[in-house]
Amino acid sequence: MSGQRVDAKVVMLGKEAVGKTSLVERYVHHRFLQGPYQNTIGAAFVAKAINVGGRNVTLGIWDTAGSERYEAMSRIYYRGARAAIVCYDLTDCSSFERVKFWVNELQNFEEHCRIYICGTKSDLVENDKSLRQVDFHDVQDYADEIKAHLCETSSKTGISVDELFQKVAEDYVNYSDFQVQTEPKGVDLNSRKDLTSYTCCHH
Amino acid sequence: MASDVDKRSHWETAAASSLSVDPGNDRSDSPAPALIQGMEPGASQDEAMFVHAQSYEDLTGEVEGMEPASPGLEGQIENMEEITQDFSKLSTQLSVSSSHSDEQSREAPCECGDSPPPVIQEADGELHPQDDWYQHQKHVFVLSEAGKPVYSRYRSEEALSSTAGVMMALVSFLETEKNAIRSIHADGYTVVFVRRSPLVLVSVSHTRQSEQEIAQELLYIYYQIVSLVTLTQLHHLFQQRPSYDLRRLLSGSERITDNLLDSMDTDPSFLLASVRCLPLTSGLRDAATYCLQQAKAKSLVFSILMSAQQLVTLVRKKDQYLHPIDIHLLFNLVTSSSSFREGEAWTPVCLPKFNPSGFFHTYISYLSHKPELLLLMVSTDREDFFTVSNCKKKIMERLEKRGTWTPLKEALSNSLYDVAQVGIPELRHFLYKSKSSRLFTSPAMTAPYNTEVEQKRLVSLYQYLHGRAHCSSHPLTTIYHIGPQENILAWVTEAFELYVCFSPLGTKSSAVNGVSRLLRWIRKEEEKLFILSSSTY
Repeated sequence: MSGQRVDAKVVMLGKEAVGKTSLVERYVHHRFLQGPYQNTIGAAFVAKAINVGGRNVTLGIWDTAGSERYEAMSRIYYRGARAAIVCYDLTDCSSFERVKFWVNELQNFEEHCRIYICGTKSDLVENDKSLRQVDFHDVQDYADEIKAHLCETSSKTGISVDELFQKVAEDYVNYSDFQVQTEPKGVDLNSRKDLTSYTCCHH
Repeated sequence: MASDVDKRSHWETAAASSLSVDPGNDRSDSPAPALIQGMEPGASQDEAMFVHAQSYEDLTGEVEGMEPASPGLEGQIENMEEITQDFSKLSTQLSVSSSHSDEQSREAPCECGDSPPPVIQEADGELHPQDDWYQHQKHVFVLSEAGKPVYSRYRSEEALSSTAGVMMALVSFLETEKNAIRSIHADGYTVVFVRRSPLVLVSVSHTRQSEQEIAQELLYIYYQIVSLVTLTQLHHLFQQRPSYDLRRLLSGSERITDNLLDSMDTDPSFLLASVRCLPLTSGLRDAATYCLQQAKAKSLVFSILMSAQQLVTLVRKKDQYLHPIDIHLLFNLVTSSSSFREGEAWTPVCLPKFNPSGFFHTYISYLSHKPELLLLMVSTDREDFFTVSNCKKKIMERLEKRGTWTPLKEALSNSLYDVAQVGIPELRHFLYKSKSSRLFTSPAMTAPYNTEVEQKRLVSLYQYLHGRAHCSSHPLTTIYHIGPQENILAWVTEAFELYVCFSPLGTKSSAVNGVSRLLRWIRKEEEKLFILSSSTY
């Protein structure tokens, strides 16, 4: 059972249409697709290698559907995740309410998962400040309280997108270095092949 | 097996002589059509790939067996006379020419949807949808039993509350008398009701489709909804709260349902309740099948390769059979969303005909975009993504290593065949369905059917003839339809269904002649046009 080699499992969560897929699309394919909204069905997986201080880290990103229909099944996507990027739409205050739901869920079931709160569509509020419905400082207070990282991104312009994923990867490296080295990272042909390649979805 | 072969050739001689084919011909290339299921061109050689069921099993009863077909074994060739008679029937009894004048006149303009807008009275003070909303040819509504809108094909659900109320009143009024409302016919409109607790599905249309066929389409919509949420959850939700607003749970899925309805207007797969098979040389298909077979995993139930809504190959777990409706829903799901275009998707899907109570997890990934080639793998274990993803890697590696990939891509990029290949001058288009394999084949819709309007018109003609042939009170086996723009011959036997479109200048006798030539051509090409053996892991 040798899975795709993935170091850190990252899961995208958040209300539908906040722009989770666009964020992944921008980060992985460096593009922003205009056009009618297309909801994600189930979840999509994509692996992306990233360099952190000379070391290659492969992020396995799960882009989940925001629809309520898949909520009951969302655990299979975030189980064992090292990082969760919980998104909300800066121009939609109800989407921030959903952030609290997901954070709660993660705190209850995935205590080792680091949380990144991400306000999306910052280009919209940049152009027209009156569109902003979620105050930065309110969210900052909330993020501090739950020890989460906070950022505001625009998938359209690309602002802060790479930085967010870079941060996720760096935190992963720092955090796993800090951990007791239980899993040999080097090549050991004799034993435990499976463990090294499967850190992200142990259960 | 030996006896099977024997029967086939035995039979062919009889049939061929009745068709007065040149007796000097070799048997193998005088492939007259079999009238017995399991013997027709395109019939599977061993066992069928799909669950075998009547087209309208859903309408006649809830009971349905999951048993596979055992084609060819029942109804032996005891009476040759019958076959001979059937053949002569075709040539002499083509008397059911559908020449209803009203239908003829409706044929051309009605399909374009530009008939004058009907006026629907509504109580004042109600929200009125836009006028052009009324002009659509076929509306489809899904309601909960409490009368809450669940889906409307052309939206305006909010404005529909009073209409929904009327619909529910009609349904419940008849139910109090222990009756069920099936349809209302008035003013050129057909209103069809399908009740599948906890949902009520209603279609309001002015097309030439029969009530039965519209009901079948509504059932597809019902199954579509079940495939998103499972029947168990559906019952559970409405048991807990009869006034539950299902739209919340279905949000984002409208596109899938819309796409399904649109496809039903242009793709005859739904009409025939069978799967369109992509023509491929048997060597290439076998090689692709082998690659799927080799990449197995414990949790895998089905591995499917599809291209442009056509089945390339399918490998299944032993003793597990897919229903054509389920495969249509899968194909519709993947084509209605661009969300599968990149990366690998892993999504819960309920296959309602297989098991309406639970979710499978389906792995969806494009192996190639141009030409389109999609891999679908249905797994029972939702935790098994990486194992299944690894199967895809193995499949790709093997396809490339065996040198299958390049010729396969080449074959896919011109997979549609031209009707001219058949070599019958007046032949324009046809649908041929093998009943035992539940696969069908059909050439590309070339001129004059190369525009969407014309394609829809042709499909609606097929729908009309299919409806006439399968009418429960007066089923017909042969129909010769003379229209202003084409003549269509429909022929339904125990073993196959055939709809053949000829130029309007042709005669009935040339059509009959054409059909037997066409059937011989299909028999000759059957290895390419159909999947003759069904493979397991």
